[in-house]
Amino acid sequence: MKLLYKELTLAAHPTSIVFAFLGCLVIVPAYPYTVIFMFGCLDPYLTFINARETNDAWYTAILPVTKREIVKGKCLLIIIFQLFQLLFSIPFVFLRNVLDVKNNPVGIDATVAWYGFGLILYAVFDLVFFPAFYKSGYKAGKSFILAAIPMLILMIGVEGSVHIPVLFWLDSYKPEHLLLQLPILLFGILCYAVFLTLAYRMSVKRFEKVDL
Amino acid sequence: METVLRVDGLYKSYPGFSLENVTFSLNSGRIMGLIGKNGAGKSTTLKSILNMVHPQRGSVTMFEKNFHQNEKECKQRIGVVFGGIDFYPLKKLSTMTAVTRTFYKNWDQEQYQLYIKRFSLDENKKFKELSSGMKVKYLLTLALSHHAELLILDEPTSGLDPVSRDELLHIFRYVVKNEGCSILFSTHITSDLDRCADDITYIQNGKVLQSAEKETFLRSFEHLKTPQDTAPLTLEEIMLRTERSVWDETAV
Repeated sequence: MKLLYKELTLAAHPTSIVFAFLGCLVIVPAYPYTVIFMFGCLDPYLTFINARETNDAWYTAILPVTKREIVKGKCLLIIIFQLFQLLFSIPFVFLRNVLDVKNNPVGIDATVAWYGFGLILYAVFDLVFFPAFYKSGYKAGKSFILAAIPMLILMIGVEGSVHIPVLFWLDSYKPEHLLLQLPILLFGILCYAVFLTLAYRMSVKRFEKVDL
Repeated sequence: METVLRVDGLYKSYPGFSLENVTFSLNSGRIMGLIGKNGAGKSTTLKSILNMVHPQRGSVTMFEKNFHQNEKECKQRIGVVFGGIDFYPLKKLSTMTAVTRTFYKNWDQEQYQLYIKRFSLDENKKFKELSSGMKVKYLLTLALSHHAELLILDEPTSGLDPVSRDELLHIFRYVVKNEGCSILFSTHITSDLDRCADDITYIQNGKVLQSAEKETFLRSFEHLKTPQDTAPLTLEEIMLRTERSVWDETAV
């Protein structure tokens, strides 16, 4: 907990915290909702840039923590941001339905499948971003560009999928369609858990070799 | 006398520079100055000791324990100050303290308040608003507030005016005497050591040229004296005569 407290108080960029609240954008009637995931991917980028510019790694290295824990702190922070963003959006999805907002004409609605795709997108982004960053311990820009490639492909894929007639159920709130979408959410959860564990382990291994 | 730090055969190679077989030890209640010109390997040595840089060979024993195997435990008992680095420049001192104190089992808030007052630090100031001397004092306050037994200071006096430097050197003496800790500090300002150090380790091109108690250290460089030198050589003279190279104008 103290690691997370340190990350939130000293390392996190204030904009990252604002981005974590942007799950509320699912209330907007016409909007490409996968852009919300992009904000969640910008969180680690901004935080790591901020940490680098404030000599966070050096400060943390002189505290009684190991390099493994330095990585752990950052991973925990990003997981909190990304999961909070998705959880924060849930009441707005209900509000949207209560207000009877029409189906999103731009792309996918915030359905169960959307949450599953979000978790998959975050999992893939983090799996590329974290190990790429911890190879050097400071190249946040390069790591973001590398991770943004699969992120953009997935975003386009998700937004485009609902325009394919046979996949219309991905964009539906009907109970029978939500049930069909459930495996995507479960796969997303599995993906996020496995990929983040993998990303953490790879990052630790790489960061252990980095000279500060 | 108890040995608080023993560095044995540290080796770290970079393209164009290597730290070779760095060996020295520091006893309890002593101040050791680590000297050498810019780029000699002082900071790399300190960072290797702290596991911030991975030495390819060698060992670091701190409080009779292998540092790299007992990193967290050892770090609980030390304080580290890097001079010239801005940590979280936009954060208030009170915020940094609130975070830092959670990491130390022995955090002593009374002691912290005491040093904050003694050093005239304003906790509501942001880190960047402090002068270079005040930054070092704040980091020292954090180190002393968890009763660090060993202070590792990297260039704490560099960039400070003579008055601030003198004040800091007094503080070093004070904390060794009153807090019972030992200090290892790197510097290229030899006059700091004349006033403050008990032991000196001299690093040249990544190798330890000499590591000894100050008097022994000074005597070991008597061969550098010329017939014109009547008084003992100062540390500055020793360093200059050891490092000085003939400027070849034709090469330019």
